[in-house]
Amino acid sequence: MFTDASIKEIALIREKYPNSRAALLPALYVAQREFGQLSPEAYEAVADLLNVPKATARGVGTFYAMYKQKPMGRHLIQLCTNVSCMILGAEKLVDLLKNTYGLEPGGVSPDGRFSMVIMECIGACGTAPAMLVNDDFHENLTEKNLTEILGKYQ
Amino acid sequence: MGTILLKNIQNPNSTDIEEYKKTGGYTSLSKAIGMEPQQIIDEVKKAGLKGRGGAGFPVAMKWTFAAADPKFPKYLLCNADEGEPGTFKDRPILEKNPHILIEGMVISGYALKAEYGYIYLRGEYPAAKHILNKAIQQAYDNNLLGENILGKGITFHLAVHQGAGAYICGEETALIESLEGDRGQPRIKPPFPVNVGAFSKPTVVNNVETLSNLPYIIEVGGEAYASIGTPDCPGPKLYCVSGHVEKPGVYELPMGTKLKDIIYTHCGGIKGGKKLKAVIPGGISTPVLPPEKIDCPMDFVNMPKHGSMLGSGAVIVMDESVCLVKVCHRALKFFEHESCGKCTPCREGTGWLSAILGRIEQGHGAEEDIELLLSVAGNMLGKTFCPLGDGAAGVVQNFIKHFRPEFEEHIKAKKCTVYG
Amino acid sequence: MKMITITVNGKEIKLEKAVTVLEAARSAGIKIPTLCYHEQLEKYGGCRLCLVEVEKMPRLQTACTLMVADGMVVRTETEQIADVRRGILEFLLINHPLDCPYCDKAGECDLQDLVEKYGPAKGRFKEKKRKVKESLADSAIVRNMERCIMCTRCVRMCEGKQGASAIAVIDRGGHSHIEPFSGGKFDCEYCGNCVSVCPVGAIMSRLHRHSYRSWQVKERHETVCPYCGVGCTVVAQVRDDVIMRVIPKLGSAVNNGMLCSRGRFGYEFVGSKERLATPLIKKNGMLAEATWEEAITLVAKKLSDIKAAFGSQAIAGIASPRCTNEDNYLFQKFMRAAVGTNNIDTTARTGFAGAQSFIENIFGQGATANIISGLANSDTVLVIGGDPTTINPILGLQIRACARRDGNVLTVGSIDGLRHFNPTKLLPKLQTEATLLEGIVAALREKKGLPGSNAALEAKIKDVTTSADEVIEKTGVTEAQLSAFVDLLARSATFSLVVGKDIVQSTGGSYKLLLLSAINYLANGRIYLLSEKANEQGALDMGSAPDILPGHRPVAYPEFRKKCENVWHAELSDKPGLNLFEMVDAAEQGSLKAVYVMGENPLCNIPNSGRVEAAFRKLDFLVVQDIFLTETAKLADVVLPALSWAEKDGTFTNMERRIQRVRKSVHREGMEDWKIIAEISKNMGYLMDYKGAEEVFHEAAKVSPLHRGLTYEDIEDGDNIYPYKGEPLRDAKEEIQVDRSARSASAGTLYLKIEKPLFHSGTMSTKAPALVNIYPQSVARVSAETAQALSLTEGDVVRVRTKTGSLALFVAIEKEGDSSSVKVGNNFEGKNAFRLTDCILDPVTKAPCLDSIELTIEKVTA
Repeated sequence: MFTDASIKEIALIREKYPNSRAALLPALYVAQREFGQLSPEAYEAVADLLNVPKATARGVGTFYAMYKQKPMGRHLIQLCTNVSCMILGAEKLVDLLKNTYGLEPGGVSPDGRFSMVIMECIGACGTAPAMLVNDDFHENLTEKNLTEILGKYQ
Repeated sequence: MGTILLKNIQNPNSTDIEEYKKTGGYTSLSKAIGMEPQQIIDEVKKAGLKGRGGAGFPVAMKWTFAAADPKFPKYLLCNADEGEPGTFKDRPILEKNPHILIEGMVISGYALKAEYGYIYLRGEYPAAKHILNKAIQQAYDNNLLGENILGKGITFHLAVHQGAGAYICGEETALIESLEGDRGQPRIKPPFPVNVGAFSKPTVVNNVETLSNLPYIIEVGGEAYASIGTPDCPGPKLYCVSGHVEKPGVYELPMGTKLKDIIYTHCGGIKGGKKLKAVIPGGISTPVLPPEKIDCPMDFVNMPKHGSMLGSGAVIVMDESVCLVKVCHRALKFFEHESCGKCTPCREGTGWLSAILGRIEQGHGAEEDIELLLSVAGNMLGKTFCPLGDGAAGVVQNFIKHFRPEFEEHIKAKKCTVYG
Repeated sequence: MKMITITVNGKEIKLEKAVTVLEAARSAGIKIPTLCYHEQLEKYGGCRLCLVEVEKMPRLQTACTLMVADGMVVRTETEQIADVRRGILEFLLINHPLDCPYCDKAGECDLQDLVEKYGPAKGRFKEKKRKVKESLADSAIVRNMERCIMCTRCVRMCEGKQGASAIAVIDRGGHSHIEPFSGGKFDCEYCGNCVSVCPVGAIMSRLHRHSYRSWQVKERHETVCPYCGVGCTVVAQVRDDVIMRVIPKLGSAVNNGMLCSRGRFGYEFVGSKERLATPLIKKNGMLAEATWEEAITLVAKKLSDIKAAFGSQAIAGIASPRCTNEDNYLFQKFMRAAVGTNNIDTTARTGFAGAQSFIENIFGQGATANIISGLANSDTVLVIGGDPTTINPILGLQIRACARRDGNVLTVGSIDGLRHFNPTKLLPKLQTEATLLEGIVAALREKKGLPGSNAALEAKIKDVTTSADEVIEKTGVTEAQLSAFVDLLARSATFSLVVGKDIVQSTGGSYKLLLLSAINYLANGRIYLLSEKANEQGALDMGSAPDILPGHRPVAYPEFRKKCENVWHAELSDKPGLNLFEMVDAAEQGSLKAVYVMGENPLCNIPNSGRVEAAFRKLDFLVVQDIFLTETAKLADVVLPALSWAEKDGTFTNMERRIQRVRKSVHREGMEDWKIIAEISKNMGYLMDYKGAEEVFHEAAKVSPLHRGLTYEDIEDGDNIYPYKGEPLRDAKEEIQVDRSARSASAGTLYLKIEKPLFHSGTMSTKAPALVNIYPQSVARVSAETAQALSLTEGDVVRVRTKTGSLALFVAIEKEGDSSSVKVGNNFEGKNAFRLTDCILDPVTKAPCLDSIELTIEKVTA
């Protein structure tokens, strides 16, 4: 069940569209924030609120890479390893994350602090390698500054 | 030429509407509202504006179809999904010059008689979301959006609709599906979005950069605009360069600037003075070029003559240290990840190509694998539902076309010979 | 009219209207291979198998999506196309497992057929194949996603045609897979229409898993579903005299290839081990096996004796809305000609019969004989009194289709099966429906005026003066809601009204029917009366009623009696007989001495089961003819085993009044219902000799002016739509009478509501294991709010008590749901809702009022 605040938020979102179905993607973001992931419970809450069949909601939610179907760590690291980032050393950063935080791509660190997913170009190619941590862009990453940057996220 | 699209972005307050107005922002909108909608479309036609998303479709033609359709309300959708690997040219507009996009959209909406606009913004640009929302609110507060724009009784509503990580949603019909709350799978065409688009209504989908050209076109007129760039492809173009150059970044240059000049004159040449090995000129879906083929004007008409495409204008520069088998594999992993799954050849083919390339990269390639790659790619090219499959097949075909010996060596040596 | 001319493979094709290249080619007999295309589903263009060459178009085009244009030149059989097809099939096979040897789809698998014709001979794929385990999580549907080729026909069927949206494509690209929300159990409407359209062995029925090969069930026995009044065409496929599966038929008249859970998965009752095999006679209080001779002789003797001692009126017959027209015709003939009484009725009396005669009294006979598919073409449909998607599911689908075409679906009350179809709902407070309907009638009349074609009805309409304010005050509906509703009714050009039994079986039900008839009249619409049993209409039309003769002619009219007498060579009583409820009264009083029950279970299907049981126990002689040993049969003096629906020929008349052929698909030793009756009749001295069901129908057609001259051939040719070649009854209508009783609801009181689940129909479905697996037992269904208030959790045992009876039931909790009611179904013997209801009748329709039954519910501890 959604909190009242979320219900209000989704109602405001709904006003921007001619029908309820179009509010599904933004509503899934709200659900992900509230439930921590798009669990069956989250899907049911969205489906009920927007009067959309729950199988349909789940079909939509699982199509998009940025909706999470399993629990995440406290902070989400979204690291790009597409061509521009790769040729500028992104893969070494993947190894670094594994060795330093025990993070596998798609996984959660053992202490629950971080989860990490590999991204397919986040539009920071000119300042590669780059990553998003939660909503923050971090560019021109090196093996040296990566741990420093991540130190801010407890 | 002077900066047009990226005007004033060095100003730390460039996203503020007052700052935008200070340098002439929103005067084009006032001017446009004094014109007839058809006049605006005529100016855009004179300007020869072509879509900047990658397809290069003549904007005025698309608008004419939509304007002629009797159904209302009409929708203007800004494609801010910028997902083509290597592309980051729309980001500075979204994050540093949002008002030029908003102004461009209101002008375009007015010309199309569209009442509703959405900016389909990729989920990977969270900063842009906040900046755009703030800028949109400012525009509403200043009567530049809403029910009675500039007191002239014109309606245009604008909102941001955030994507959630699907490259395929950069395709206009998949974008519309995603806006409507569905999985982002492309639609059967015809009908085309200009007739049956968002919510079954006439819809125009244009790229961020495309729409951002409108204020300048209105300001100086189509003819003057067309004096920039080349006769076939006028106007300014944002080229974004990444990889092994001294000065990667976004460069606003006249359309048709030569690729060679972009790399060596503007970006300072190859980083560390190394040797150039390969260039992808317009984003990963465009055919890769060997060093001897970079003396080509970067526009929609000339690039095909030189064996590639302008695409989004995203230049990826690779030096001698790069293993092209690895790059090719990584590119196919991208397509495999982003395939929507609707059509057989792309859904199965991207995975197959990726697996073969992975095997080759790991040192388990066989001699016949190169012909197999070409055969599988050939079974995809032209058979898929949308161009994503063509892009994937094209990458394999073009990498092998220009760099076959490297693939053969990699297979024979059972490891990468570039890294030694 | 301008024709469109295209050329395909050099052949010129002329078309009247624009269709796809695929459809054009097919019309000219040119085959283009497809996988994701299905004529009932929205086009997809995903498999790419139908790619063809089109002159002047640079890319190959999918024939299934490309519309023809005049002058188009298409080539479908070039070498390039052959290569393309090989390539596509190769792509499909790289992950498709080589399961053919044990895959149930082998022999009827589209992929298999295509690969054989167009596919590659060798596989070149050396990489890791996708592996997915078979899912047996669901009791009725087995899923094998490894075999799935992502044609998405199942999803497009479920979402776009069935409207259940229970399955979806999850993830994307090569990870795409199709599953229900839970990932395992479907928990859906179990229509199985996904099974029908899956071209490979990815989604299949679990009922016949690994029990046959497709070429072993090539025979197709086309018949009519035995469950509800829609009358879907079903095809039974048999091996060794056991039905292996039931499948639909694309293009069939009523259901056009769609089925519901009952039709699809409910056939196993036919082969149930519990089927009665021999006659039984009660000796020393116990039923013991007997021979046919013994049983028939005994029945004939006892009935004759009772007739002699107490008169014909001391004997009654209860016929069946599940038995064929032939069974019913002969039964009522037996009762009238051999026994000499009009004491015949069926459970149609519990609502359908009274409602239909009420409506026909206003609009004329045949007023409810409307074609079901017409609902999809209505611009406005009003639904009241039940959920069509569970009672008559295929009819419910038409309402969903109407909504999809931007039609308006209006409901009084919340109808679960329509909640995703944008319904305009009015939710009046309990017991205020009559006021609401009055308000609608008054407002609608003001908007549209009186049409002037029905004086009697208009006189009643003029009496309705309820104002909008009154409606708002009494019902709780707002002004905006009411006027929006009325507006939609007023603007409708093609209006349909769907009436379920709940509104008929309520206090003042006849009055509400009048108001509904008024709405239908003012909106110039047509009425659909939901019917829960397959041959409810047919039983009535054949005369299984105390006041009606075959052809739906009143017993009271001498000319109709004469017609029967001439053919039957017997004198008929002019006294209308006892109806179903009067039979119970008479048995209770002792004036009714004997009852002959055919294909019915009165203990379960007449309200106040306890009273019915007590009354039947008083009878001197009870004969029950059935396929199972029902509760009623257990009380009988003689039990006669009949052949079931699958084992005989005959006809059913559906709620459209369309007559369709029931065809034998399984052979079983025994006699049809009508045959048993004929034997008994012979033994009683009234000769009945028919060689087959067709001969029985032949006679019925002689006697019934409505079925005059109708033959099996006509029916099979499709000449089977009311009023066939006959005459409906045209006569002076009776004065419209209503009962305006009303009850008031008290807040905080719980009321009983009879549940009509999708997966069950009567008690017959409870003998079908597949349906029982989905819906295993009677429950007390409460809203989440009620559960919380009473501290109930799912699975608790509760005692539900009314002033008539009590039942111990498991609790089921539904998220939404009306917090003033507790729903109990009437399908499971011994735990059926009618044990809790009394039987007070609406004096006009004679339907029982089942709406104000107060109940208490408490947890049973330990």
